[in-house]
Amino acid sequence: MSDLDKAIAQLRACRLIPEAQVRELCYKARELLIEEGNVVSVDAPVTICGDIHGQFHDLMELFRVGGDVPDTNYLFMGDFVDRGFYSLESFLLLLCLKVRYPDRITLIRGNHESRQITTVYGFYDECIRKYGSANVWRYCCEVFDYLALGALVLGASSELDPSGPMMDTTQSTMPIDDSELETEVLNSRGEVTMSTYRPRQRSSSTLSTDSRNISPPRDISAAPGQPPIRSGAAGTGASGDAGGSLSSRTGAVLCVHGGLSPVIDTVDKIRLIDRKQEVPHEGAMCDLLWSDPDEIDGWGLSPRGAGFLFGGDIVKHFNYKNDLSLVARAHQLVMEGYKEMFDGGIVTVWSAPNYCYRCGNVAAILELGEDTSNGGTVTRSNGDVGRSNGILGPTMGVRSPGRRYRVFEAAAQDTRGMPAKKPVADYFL
Amino acid sequence: MALEVQPPSDRKRVKVYELRDNDWFDRGTGFCTGQILDDEPRIFVESEDEPNRVLLETKISKDDGYQKQQETLIVWTEPNGTDMALSFQEAEGCAVIWNFVNNVQQHLLSMAPGEDALSDDIDYQPIILPPAELGNLPEIDHVMRAASITQAGRDALSKFVIREEYIQKLIPLVTVAEDLESLTDLHRLCNIMKSLILLNDNTIIETVVTDSIIIGVVGALEYDPEFPTHKANHRMYLADQSRYKEVVPIKDPLIRRKIRCTWRLQYLKDVVLARILDDPTFSVLNSLIFFNQVEIVNHIQANAPFLKELFTVFDPRSNDTKRKEDAVQFLHQCAVIAKNLQAPARANLFANFISHGLFAVIAFAIKHPKPALRTTGIDILVSLLDHDPIMMRGYMLKAVNEKKTPLTDTLIDLLHTEPDLGVKNQLADAVKVLLDPQVAVQETMGRAGPDQFKPRTILSDAFVQNHFDESARRLFWPLKRLEHRDHLQNLTFQQVALFSHLVDILSFFVRQQQHRTRNVIFNDSLGRRIELLLTVPHKHLKLTALKFFRQLINLHDTFYQALLTHSNVFGSILDVVYETMPRDNLLNSACLELFEYIKRETAKPLLVHVVEKYRERIHNITYVNTFQNLIDRYEHFQGYGVEPEPTLYSQEEVIPARRLQVNGQRWQGVKEMDPAEEEYFNTSDDEEEWQQETRQSVGVQNGAASPVVKPLVDYPDDDDEDDAMDTKPEPGDEGQGPTPDGESRDASIDSPEDPSTPVSSTRGQTPPERLSEKRRREEEDDDELMKLSSGPKRRSSTSSGPGSAGPLRRKRSVSFGSLSPNEKGGNTTTSAPPRRIAINLSSATIKGTDTGSTDSATDKSSSEKENRGDNHGGEGG
Repeated sequence: MSDLDKAIAQLRACRLIPEAQVRELCYKARELLIEEGNVVSVDAPVTICGDIHGQFHDLMELFRVGGDVPDTNYLFMGDFVDRGFYSLESFLLLLCLKVRYPDRITLIRGNHESRQITTVYGFYDECIRKYGSANVWRYCCEVFDYLALGALVLGASSELDPSGPMMDTTQSTMPIDDSELETEVLNSRGEVTMSTYRPRQRSSSTLSTDSRNISPPRDISAAPGQPPIRSGAAGTGASGDAGGSLSSRTGAVLCVHGGLSPVIDTVDKIRLIDRKQEVPHEGAMCDLLWSDPDEIDGWGLSPRGAGFLFGGDIVKHFNYKNDLSLVARAHQLVMEGYKEMFDGGIVTVWSAPNYCYRCGNVAAILELGEDTSNGGTVTRSNGDVGRSNGILGPTMGVRSPGRRYRVFEAAAQDTRGMPAKKPVADYFL
Repeated sequence: MALEVQPPSDRKRVKVYELRDNDWFDRGTGFCTGQILDDEPRIFVESEDEPNRVLLETKISKDDGYQKQQETLIVWTEPNGTDMALSFQEAEGCAVIWNFVNNVQQHLLSMAPGEDALSDDIDYQPIILPPAELGNLPEIDHVMRAASITQAGRDALSKFVIREEYIQKLIPLVTVAEDLESLTDLHRLCNIMKSLILLNDNTIIETVVTDSIIIGVVGALEYDPEFPTHKANHRMYLADQSRYKEVVPIKDPLIRRKIRCTWRLQYLKDVVLARILDDPTFSVLNSLIFFNQVEIVNHIQANAPFLKELFTVFDPRSNDTKRKEDAVQFLHQCAVIAKNLQAPARANLFANFISHGLFAVIAFAIKHPKPALRTTGIDILVSLLDHDPIMMRGYMLKAVNEKKTPLTDTLIDLLHTEPDLGVKNQLADAVKVLLDPQVAVQETMGRAGPDQFKPRTILSDAFVQNHFDESARRLFWPLKRLEHRDHLQNLTFQQVALFSHLVDILSFFVRQQQHRTRNVIFNDSLGRRIELLLTVPHKHLKLTALKFFRQLINLHDTFYQALLTHSNVFGSILDVVYETMPRDNLLNSACLELFEYIKRETAKPLLVHVVEKYRERIHNITYVNTFQNLIDRYEHFQGYGVEPEPTLYSQEEVIPARRLQVNGQRWQGVKEMDPAEEEYFNTSDDEEEWQQETRQSVGVQNGAASPVVKPLVDYPDDDDEDDAMDTKPEPGDEGQGPTPDGESRDASIDSPEDPSTPVSSTRGQTPPERLSEKRRREEEDDDELMKLSSGPKRRSSTSSGPGSAGPLRRKRSVSFGSLSPNEKGGNTTTSAPPRRIAINLSSATIKGTDTGSTDSATDKSSSEKENRGDNHGGEGG
């Protein structure tokens, strides 16, 4: 067993690794992250996760529900630290996994991965408590500066393989002839609580409706409240199969922590940022980590004091211009764990159940399956120039990927004990 | 009616506190008296320093808002809602005033029975809990829950619990229930204790942490019904006496008790109640801890024999290393607590420590063989630096003046040799602050401060500069030594770490104030050395070097521009581009960002230099448009070639100029090179050429033909866009109604921009303006205001709604944002600077709240931020 594997085992048990090892880990991570672009390309299948906020035991629950690394590919959209009492354990474990399985796990930066924010919201304090000095905090902050700003998921399937029969159909659209499974919501036991279907899209057909018009109603997340009657097998990852005869194109999925920026109109512009810096107070990099979607038109001032609010028209245009089918982001607590907005143009994924140990929310992760119809080749790579000059006809919109949400609750208490901060060891005063 | 209460006659020394934003603000120290003026009983505090200044005058009301806490505190809420506190020097003084308040209140109540009987009935339904017995626990729990719902119920419950000493009565039940192994009862007891603490009453919380009660209380809290299968072991932790360390015994029993209570309060806050604390209880706990700490620290620093004994521990003749280490930890804890104190108290404490020999302690700690202790030592040093960098520099310069080894030299030597990378990191930060050239300037400008430190300001600027030069030479010596190495392929890990710290420090110095740093860079040819670092295999070091040059470019300083153009720096940077391209990674992005910036900036020499010297190499880079655009832009400025594509030049064009102006005002005369430097650069042939080009490009820029503004030609209607810009910040005002898809597609097709056209600057762009800036514009320009008010209407009548164009359009209209119509006439710089200031202000106010102490160079954060603002401005903010 290598040192790294030992460290992983130790962190999985919620025990910290020595300071020297943290330092080494952070340097290794830095070497790795410096090679990543500001927007990392990630191939489906992948499981997208939102904020973790130091809720270590719930992160373990997430891995239980979503599958373990490296069996499942993960993309974490930032905010690993602060608020919860186990920021160090959570972040260091994720970092260890990143160093151990660089291609299996992607970490991007959230607004809490910043020196200023962590000094206020707990991570700094936690480092001092647990290591006695700010050194570990410094190492981690250095790593924060190297984290990518976004990710682009390529080659996601437009259709899901059904996980099992659905019992409660009131919340769902019915499977009809020649339809494909578009979204599915599962609880933590792998039972389907909701699913939606849409017509298949033929490449040559004149079927010209925007596929997103039949996306689930905006508040599809009301479903998890229904007790599932029949339990299906826990999903083995959303691997999709488009059936070969159909070649509908699924657009890429952009993942960022916060949202869009008024100064970023193409994904490629993100590439021109020198990201190795503390999260600035304004500008593109700040916006990507701070902005929120809102039911407005255009751009609005954000009540957060950083980033902007952006409306459905912005998302629609941005997705259109960049051949995106979906923007996945985190950053906002949603009680149902996930929330689709703007006809499925953007989704918020939140992965910290019972946030702050008292919000009472559930968490979710989003699985995107692999499109095997083209033999697994990905037709587009990050950095393509001139791909979005508006060549697309008005009726040939990109299809949104099949989306499987796994909703889960806070870890059972027998696995975690009572969450608390570490008390000071000795005191003089 | 006459009051029959005798006000206390003598004056009690007291500190007046006011709660502002959850912090206790010190209103001053003075003498407290009770008075009856015009039949109105008052508490009156006169300032100690200025006897005529009244620190506090408050009427005592009959409402039950006053609380006595501990022995020396009286806390109440003013009728206007402000929380106030009086902290008495003597418990006796507190008791006298407290009696007075009580007497007055009783008197007032007895005087007005009618109305009060009524209101009492409504406000305080007295609550009576059943006797504290196991059998009654369900009912007690129930009554408490019910009462906790309303504020009145909570008040009544608190009163009852305090009056009846009810907690004390509950405590024995914990052991009884444990003996009976009755988990249900223990869970109930836990709930009851939680409810009691969350009543959020100072007196109750103080009772809870007293010696006789605490163990029982946390005992009950070990059985949390939310975690039925768990039992915490709070008692074991809190009963462990060995956790309290004593270097020099503190004899005062009151202070000893406070230390214990504070520790328990912290444990309650962090561990026992961590999950369930609501905000009010959290702040009550914090306030209690704060007041305790103030008293403890005050006691310590006023206790001369104690301090003397404490610092004698470090006597070199003593061999008790353990005790020395503990003493360092003790001082460290004092320093940590001091961070929360208000500046005067903190200044006193540190001054006291310093006069007893704190520097010797720091010197002892930072040379200690254990890295942990070195870290602690530097932490203490950094808290001093955070507190008052100018004072620290004063001490340092004084040492130099007296021909002693200054602290900086020690730190620099340690930085060079320190093997522990964490400590190295801290050392670098400390050196950065100590040598910060900016601070020296402030100092010579004079500064108000404690009198004992005044004499240091007599040190001349020349002396300061000299010291800076000396120290910097010492500091950057390892970089200078690089000149003797032919290649840098085999740097050790330690060297890599050291070089990145040094380059980082130098970048900081350059940013803080370029002119003081010029000598250093010039004399030791540091530019060339750092250029060498662009060739190392270690990517992060390469990146650090790259960022250094990026910083130089940012300054728009002729000296640094000359330095860049008289070397092969850009050649080396292009090497990095070639090495990394076309891969998409951090280093590559950083290079692109740098060239994008050159493409946009005003001062042309760099653009001209880069294109003329490296044209061939640039031409060959095609995987992004950046480099082709660079050439296009160059040709445009040479007066031929293609129109530059319509990016945001117009805006960015203006801003660096403004920046220079602002800078010029601040540091008049320092921008020019001195003759020696000039001569040095003039030895090169390119020089003349370069100056010509500069002139030429300036000519272009000033030309009234405004090719600079014009590129945004493809806009249908400028006026309309101005409107769009001005209404931008209004949420919901944008993109009225849905626009047909066709139109939006047209917009993007028409746009000659490629997806990768780097229109937006990376971080400098200011998207929709912040409110404050907008307000400013409204004040400035009535025309704008008119348009603003009529904007939405007009826009909705135009054929292409702004919402349809999406980010692209929006962004462009933003670029107009900093150019009001009259500015477009060519008069670009006159009205500009104030606006830029407005931008800075706004970002400062918006972010003001979360800019707490970030790193150890915190005290610099404000000036750094200002500086960052400048940079942003330079990039197009």
